Amino acid sequence: MVSLEFRRDRIVFRYGDQKYEWVIEPRYWRNPVIGALVLMVLPFLVYQYPNILTMITTANIYAAIAIMLSLQTIGTARLNFGPQFYVGIGGYTAALLNLYFGLNSALTLIVTILVSLLFAFLISPIVLIARGLYFALITLILPLIFLEITFVYGDIFRGESGLSGIAPLLNLGSVSWNYLAYYFLSLAMMLIYLLVVDKTMRSRYGLAMAAINDNEDVARTVGVNVNKYKILSYVIPSVGMGVAGWFIAHTFRTFAGITYLSLDFMVKILLMIIIGGRASIYGSIVGGYFVAFLEEGLRTLGPINYVVFPLTLILCVYMLPEGLWGLYHKRHYRDYYPKLRVRRR
Amino acid sequence: MKALLKLTNVTKRFGGLVAVDNVSFCIEEGEVVGLIGPNGAGKTTLLNVISGVYHPDSGTVEFNGKDITRMPPEEICRLGIARTYQIPQPFPDMTALNNVAVAVLYGKKRRNMSLADAELEASYFLEFVGLFSKRNTLARDLTLYELRMLELARALATSPRLLLIDEAMAGLNPAESLRAIKMIKTAQEHFGLTILWIEHVMKIIMNSAERIIVLHYGRKIAEGPPKMIAEDKKVIEAYLGERYA
Repeated sequence: MVSLEFRRDRIVFRYGDQKYEWVIEPRYWRNPVIGALVLMVLPFLVYQYPNILTMITTANIYAAIAIMLSLQTIGTARLNFGPQFYVGIGGYTAALLNLYFGLNSALTLIVTILVSLLFAFLISPIVLIARGLYFALITLILPLIFLEITFVYGDIFRGESGLSGIAPLLNLGSVSWNYLAYYFLSLAMMLIYLLVVDKTMRSRYGLAMAAINDNEDVARTVGVNVNKYKILSYVIPSVGMGVAGWFIAHTFRTFAGITYLSLDFMVKILLMIIIGGRASIYGSIVGGYFVAFLEEGLRTLGPINYVVFPLTLILCVYMLPEGLWGLYHKRHYRDYYPKLRVRRR
Repeated sequence: MKALLKLTNVTKRFGGLVAVDNVSFCIEEGEVVGLIGPNGAGKTTLLNVISGVYHPDSGTVEFNGKDITRMPPEEICRLGIARTYQIPQPFPDMTALNNVAVAVLYGKKRRNMSLADAELEASYFLEFVGLFSKRNTLARDLTLYELRMLELARALATSPRLLLIDEAMAGLNPAESLRAIKMIKTAQEHFGLTILWIEHVMKIIMNSAERIIVLHYGRKIAEGPPKMIAEDKKVIEAYLGERYA
């Protein structure tokens, strides 16, 4: 019934009719698994330095947002210039409900999902009516309007100083344990997003999204219900970003419009998916970590880092048109043989 | 015999330009109908109207007794009308196999088909048009002939009853176009297709089509078997000018 067999080049595991093979030869190693293991071991090496732990927690959250943005970019064939809008919606929903109505984090999660679902559905028709520059403009303006609202109704939203004192997700007693726990929670969120998006991209829905990404009109004439897929691939990643906002609010226990709704944050996320490798989902993780490390590393330079940081990113985009992931992918393109190829723009 | 496709008084305007003007015709099951006309006669527009890319300003299009005038293209495709393009329009960044798999999955009701099953079925169509060895090549790396065959495979994969072919021979050399004609004829026999075929090369269309419809400035000026069309005064006038008529 159950058997485990060690061969020269592989481990074969049999269970009933099922057969699982694990190829030991290094070039067939499942790189996502190795990557996940590295990320799981990483915090134990640096657990004495809370600022590094916070940094990699932030990197995970960045990566989670960037993964969702990649899915959205591929599925709608349009680049959303306001991904921070849903982060803001999620964060503010969680923060306001927690502070003013005393809802706990589980309840705010449910409400956050519902609210971002509502907003995403209300706004989703833009993927049908606008493309190219117009889509970019509409999506760019949305978070700026929201930011403006947080300033105008400052007594509720506190757009400048930020809402603080939000209930933490969990409390393990000691501060360093909390840091570790938050890191693993953020990692779990990121990996779940990665798994879901990866499975989607390799399924029949991913094929439809790739077809839409390549040529919407032709996709229509071979029978793909383009409108349905575009709306779904706008709404679902938006909800994912909202949940990332909820996570930010409950993890850092403070949420300010000026931090998460401003153009700085947008530029960071967009550069993440570009530096990662033109909306490739694994690349967005690399991009997320790269940006978070760079941000933290340049902080030691003092005020000049506000100039150096974007300049470095621009230089990266210029020097690496295929992104950091492209460096790897170029040498290992056979890894993805006969898988889906998606145009990344 | 029942009419498979029936157009009645179809008119399509682009601003002041009347691209298709009051065109009516029927296509019966199993026929190969040629659609010819000088440049800018509105042939491709008519094809776009039938496949749902454009909606006509007036008139109706019926397919198999069902009104498809205002239907979106994806539903028309699922009813059984497939098309190819004058300039091949593959999904350039997908492999040939995946190009066809999209059509297999979405060109008909296939609710629970997995991607792997779709690729298996797609490989049948690729093999049929002779592209199986190119299944893992990106579509943008294929040659023009291969692209045309890929489009044919993609159209066949939606299991159509009516196939609209838009100048399958444009840009092919004589040997390739002979192969392409053979392929289209084989496909017609194999899948029991009805074909509406736009073509510029007179020789091909005269040999292949059973009936020919001639468009000129959006109007239908003649319809009938190839021999009759070749001797039709209006057609000669449209193609060669009044002097030769």
